[in-house]
Amino acid sequence: MFSGPVPETENVIVVRDLQKTYRTPFRRRKVEALRGISFQVERGHIFGFVGPNGAGKTTTIRTLMGLIRPTGGSATILGHAIPSRAARFKVGFLPESPYFYDYLTIGELLDLAGRLFGLEARERKQRADQLIDRVGLGRARSQSLKKFSKGMLQRAGLAQALMNDPELVVLDEPTSGLDPIGRKEVRDLILELRDQGKTVFFSSHILTDIEAIADQVAIVARGSLQASGTPAELVKRTVLGIDVKVRLAADVGIDELTAGASHVRRTADELAVTLAADADVDAWLAAAHAKGARVVAVEPRHETLEDLFLRQIAGADAASAATEGRV
Amino acid sequence: MFGRIWAIALNTFREAARIRVLYGILVLVAGANLMALVLGQMSIHEEQRVARDIGLAGISLFGSLTAIFLGVFLLYTEVQRRTIHAIVSKPIERWEFVVGKYLGMAIVLTILVGLFGLAMCGMLTLQGVGVSSAVVKAIVLAWFEVLTVAAIAIFFSSFSTPFLSGIFALAMWSLGRVTPDIQAAIEHGSAWIQATARFALEIVPDLHLFSPSGRLVDSATVSVHGDFITWGYVGLSALHALGWIAGLLAIACLLFQRRDFA
Repeated sequence: MFSGPVPETENVIVVRDLQKTYRTPFRRRKVEALRGISFQVERGHIFGFVGPNGAGKTTTIRTLMGLIRPTGGSATILGHAIPSRAARFKVGFLPESPYFYDYLTIGELLDLAGRLFGLEARERKQRADQLIDRVGLGRARSQSLKKFSKGMLQRAGLAQALMNDPELVVLDEPTSGLDPIGRKEVRDLILELRDQGKTVFFSSHILTDIEAIADQVAIVARGSLQASGTPAELVKRTVLGIDVKVRLAADVGIDELTAGASHVRRTADELAVTLAADADVDAWLAAAHAKGARVVAVEPRHETLEDLFLRQIAGADAASAATEGRV
Repeated sequence: MFGRIWAIALNTFREAARIRVLYGILVLVAGANLMALVLGQMSIHEEQRVARDIGLAGISLFGSLTAIFLGVFLLYTEVQRRTIHAIVSKPIERWEFVVGKYLGMAIVLTILVGLFGLAMCGMLTLQGVGVSSAVVKAIVLAWFEVLTVAAIAIFFSSFSTPFLSGIFALAMWSLGRVTPDIQAAIEHGSAWIQATARFALEIVPDLHLFSPSGRLVDSATVSVHGDFITWGYVGLSALHALGWIAGLLAIACLLFQRRDFA
């Protein structure tokens, strides 16, 4: 008879109305860290979880990983209700700004992780060797973690998160503190994990990282989900404006060209403006030509994830201010 | 299950072995034994008695203080430094983590008590006295006392800060050492003293059991310098210690289970 968990379609993570309320130690004041968050993460996808500091990203992740007990709502990971030891066998987790035992070497750290996953000695050694090379820490094998830079610690954290060859990888700010090369390597690793069929759930402040690799995105602010979906669903494809850049002598008057532009930038020999989406670009270019300008670029401007993010955060702040005002 | 507990214990042992204070304590114990040698020379034919008394007191005192120090810091720093995040997010139960931490501490303390005992036996041998079975029994009893104190410290550490845990553990250790005096207070004190003393007796382990020298046991005074307790007494005291250790760890595990690691 089947006694395992009932799979919830192909959703690897299902979060329903998740809430977490803290009380301050003495005054017992309520602090709502999560105010009923709901979302799903589909199998084999990269899910980007984005929000400003204090939005509830890390609280959500720690709740999913069993570090924090929710005060309301529910969540399942791989079909198991949290907190679930059975689920944790198949999950790899990189905490935010990972802290490890600094007296261990990377090999010893991975051996400890392997022991906690119940791996045999030979498998632990083999897997640790592979992962150390994979995250580029081969040369630091004999060093204690105390001597690791922040970037190296992040890589060590990624290695320990992959020790059990997990189905689901949960990464809390994996690119935090990394230089551009390190960030690119982490992005490549996440894409590689997806190509291997794994599901990756990661949080980040860095919107370009999310935009570059995420299949699904959720924006969270003030403990509430503001928007979720694929980047294509979330970001409007309508033209918001038209960016025009021309080469133009410095002593030429530009009043006629900047009238009605939402953004103007003038350098010694260039003029860049953003025109309204329905502006007559041909007429503007003709006027510019008449002043001796030469066209450098004309580009329609679409909404970016950053635009959406800023809009959602502003909306959340306004709603919160209105609520506090009523109270 | 045991593999995971052992992994945590091994890591705790590694962590504790790096604490330089422990090496300082070893030096202190060696110093105490040397002091016993000097004091013995100053006494009138009481060299062996002084060596035994100071050696055993050193094991009990320094062993218990080390147990409190390790107990209040090792669990707390896991939470404080957030090293616990990468551990309890793996398939390990929180109670396995607490038991593993205790086991790791117990290994460290066993080695320390072993070294303290060896230093004392070395001192006795230097003085031309053999190591009697009474001394071995006394060292075994001190070892169980130290293990019990470690469980007390880890119990407080499961819900409190190192400072408060240290104070609570020291208070419980001190009360546990004077349980016969508390018993006397029940017989002779006023009503509220009796009630307080009764309550104290209920909540502290009888650590006095582990240093019986000079006490009445089965209507006879026992002494580590002469007629001492039987192995049966050692066994019963060990059971008392194991009962307290199991109880304290069980409550610590329950409290730790309910904690948020934010």
